[in-house]
Amino acid sequence: MYWGGNPAECHPRHFTKYTIMQKSKFLPRGRKDRTMVLVDIRETKSANAADIFLQIKPGKDFELITILRAMIKDEYVADEQINATGLTRETLDDLIRRMKAAKFGCMFFGMGLSMTRGKHMNSAALLMLAAEMNAFTKFVAMPMRGHGNVTGADVIMRWQTGYPFGISFNRGYPRYNPGEFSTVDVLVRGDCDAAFIIGADPGGTMPQPAIDHLKRIPTIVLDPHITHTSALARVHITTAPQGIAAPGTAYRMDELPMPLKPALKSPYPSDEEVVRRINEAIARKPFWLPDGSQPQMLTRQV
Amino acid sequence: MSLSVINNATCTFCGCVCDDIQLHHDEMRIHKANKACVLGTAWFLNHTAEKKYPMALIDGREASLDDAIEMAATLLHEADMPLVYGMSNTTCEAQKECVALADQLGGLLDSHTSL
Repeated sequence: MYWGGNPAECHPRHFTKYTIMQKSKFLPRGRKDRTMVLVDIRETKSANAADIFLQIKPGKDFELITILRAMIKDEYVADEQINATGLTRETLDDLIRRMKAAKFGCMFFGMGLSMTRGKHMNSAALLMLAAEMNAFTKFVAMPMRGHGNVTGADVIMRWQTGYPFGISFNRGYPRYNPGEFSTVDVLVRGDCDAAFIIGADPGGTMPQPAIDHLKRIPTIVLDPHITHTSALARVHITTAPQGIAAPGTAYRMDELPMPLKPALKSPYPSDEEVVRRINEAIARKPFWLPDGSQPQMLTRQV
Repeated sequence: MSLSVINNATCTFCGCVCDDIQLHHDEMRIHKANKACVLGTAWFLNHTAEKKYPMALIDGREASLDDAIEMAATLLHEADMPLVYGMSNTTCEAQKECVALADQLGGLLDSHTSL
């Protein structure tokens, strides 16, 4: 099941390489042994690949997921509640029958679910639906990740700090609170007084009040190109593009690490080298907390 | 002129991170990316080893890498609440350095995931 995504155009090899086309021990006929469902508000190119296309009304994702969660447990849902999502009871009955009959279901959700009205509540609801489907059969859910190594960022932050994103170190130890420490919120409120941007172009993607704050504060950009953000930054450093001229590791969206095989030698340094040198330069300056007030490791039981 | 071939190269354009691409390249550019999709082909063929941009810019003027690194360190060190953001189009090794940077600065750390 793809929900709120358009893999045919955004992840062109997702069908053939990972989800519906591959033949396997338990699915020897490949595509013929699988059912693909697409849930979206408009008929994208991905609908051509789907067995079932469910066109729902915009902003009704959370309602539909909640209805499905109720219906799989045979709880009462009124016709008008179903009709408000743009679908019919017959369609949903058929969908639930197929979901329960499946041996292994996988839900992939895109930004059409996670970035529209309801945002992370929509994602949370879909994860709940996948969890609850396990009362009947095996079901999992996974986000469709956009940019190259965004999965790696989650994994590395989890490994190093215990949290995947939205982290503050301002007490000397990591704390996690999306909404408070997530970038758009921080920038729109004007909380930070410097920004270090790497492998991203908020100047081209973020809301205007966030961009305005980036202009007000000293911004440092590391990127292989001069980006929108570079144009408003105090410092821009050109770096070698990952996987093309810079070596390293990148995580696939299912959290499998892949070694990169760069083909070219860049005249520019890698991101890794530049950030390490900035770290070394900062380490030569006095620590931001006065002596004696730095966080200490507790070594003895009290 | 014959081209060098890299088998099973990894594409980092989108989250699929396909690892079966065959790259045909010389010293300057990649000429062919077999098995890559339209997006991946554009990603591989549009990046070259040319020096298209200055090494670094400070306040819009060309600067040396050393000066830019020193300036970046100074600006980040002076700040009370610096933000380290992005990390999507970069390697895990660089991401680890970014976590160390935010930790050392006592700042904020965030990725595209929160958008």
